[in-house]
Amino acid sequence: MEKKVLEIINYIRKSKDLPALAEIHPTDKLREQIQFSSFDLAELTVRIEDEFGIDIFEDGLVASIGEIYEKLK
Amino acid sequence: MIYFLYDKDTVYSYNTFLLDIQNTKCYFPYLKTNNLYLYFLNLVKAIIANKPIVLIDFDINDFEIDGLNDNTINVSSPITPIQVSSFEDILKSIHESTSEISIFTSGTTGQPKKVIHTFQTLTRSVRISEKYNNQRWGFAYNPTHMAGLQVFFQAFLNMNTLFNIFNQSRNLIYKTIEKYSITHISATPTFYRLLLPVEKSYYSVKRITFGGEKSDRKLHDMMLSIFPNAKINNIYASTEAGSLFFAQNENFLIPSAISNKIKVKNNELLIHKSLLGKSDSFTFSGDYYHSGDLIEWINEEEGLFRFKSRKNELINIGGYKVNPTEVESVILEMPEILQVVVFGKQNSILGNILCAEVIIKELNNLTELSIRNFLKEKLQDFKIPRRIIFVNTLSITRTGKLKRI
Repeated sequence: MEKKVLEIINYIRKSKDLPALAEIHPTDKLREQIQFSSFDLAELTVRIEDEFGIDIFEDGLVASIGEIYEKLK
Repeated sequence: MIYFLYDKDTVYSYNTFLLDIQNTKCYFPYLKTNNLYLYFLNLVKAIIANKPIVLIDFDINDFEIDGLNDNTINVSSPITPIQVSSFEDILKSIHESTSEISIFTSGTTGQPKKVIHTFQTLTRSVRISEKYNNQRWGFAYNPTHMAGLQVFFQAFLNMNTLFNIFNQSRNLIYKTIEKYSITHISATPTFYRLLLPVEKSYYSVKRITFGGEKSDRKLHDMMLSIFPNAKINNIYASTEAGSLFFAQNENFLIPSAISNKIKVKNNELLIHKSLLGKSDSFTFSGDYYHSGDLIEWINEEEGLFRFKSRKNELINIGGYKVNPTEVESVILEMPEILQVVVFGKQNSILGNILCAEVIIKELNNLTELSIRNFLKEKLQDFKIPRRIIFVNTLSITRTGKLKRI
């Protein structure tokens, strides 16, 4: 699951011409470390929902990688 | 010293602003910049000098709008020196201005459409009095759009201080609110959704305003946990008409001053032409403009209503309105693509996210990314579908019309 999340994140980073990340950490913040805008976060929720069937932002409580993992457990 | 604007690490005072106005010999009719101070300065110069100005996004592509090219963008035009000795003089000249201020709206067909406003139509809802002194505004809108202009004029005309928090990270927004004791924020529901989760309360904020897309009670309640001292209101403003209605919750009230200029026909909100800017793209029935917004009366006698949906096909993406036909026609410029439909899919961050289904010719190596890279050169970011799905047949409705979800 964690590998798939990294894949999705790198896919979105690539579309913004940002280099791929070799690894991500639960403490990484989506806005700061991952450098995602609101549009990128929306895309992330759609791609994760396509993959795992879960809307991670449904209750607005996701700000870090660790919080995504929590939702997908 | 009264400050005008904090933008990133730079601070501009109203004195600096006055000096820059006094020393000016030219302005830019079409300025493309991401420097907020220069953008506002140029806007005020044009208004005071009674010159026309066209407000364009700094990431716009030339061919997205007719008439934009290297001969117009960022080319200066001379003006006679502006004789002002104080900020009060600036305000006086602004109020007397007849300058034409053009902004763009996503038309229902083809390219974005130009709407020409005056200072008067843009500032219909702006309130000026001592009561509004010392307000500190978080600036959270695109400055070239109607909502951003409303906030700018409300703050500027009362000599308030603006803090640029548009497109900033959540951390930085909270830091700015705390450090500078921001009192007012006006933004889209998307902006507020990204402030979640509720972790801490900020007591300096006295008012928060929602605009640009539909908001909901749940989001209001969560914002009240973050900003316990804030009063909440909703605003309905459009590129065509400026700001028209306010609401404390989802029920909007038609102010008595304009009640004879608003009609409802087949549930659609109609706006009298006297409330609108000028545009070749407006279609009227009689003297009324069809807004495309469908409403439901809560109390017709009192003028209380609620928005239900939109009649036309514009898709609201986090407060940006996208015309799917415009995006489809650009996608079809790719020779490998046979058919396309662009639609909005419900999304918990942006309200809707833009998606596309495409049918491509056999045996080619198009990917989602290669289509998006092509579109990047042609369209602003918010018009680019974030999810492109390759299909064999498009989703078609029973009537045979392409389905917009």
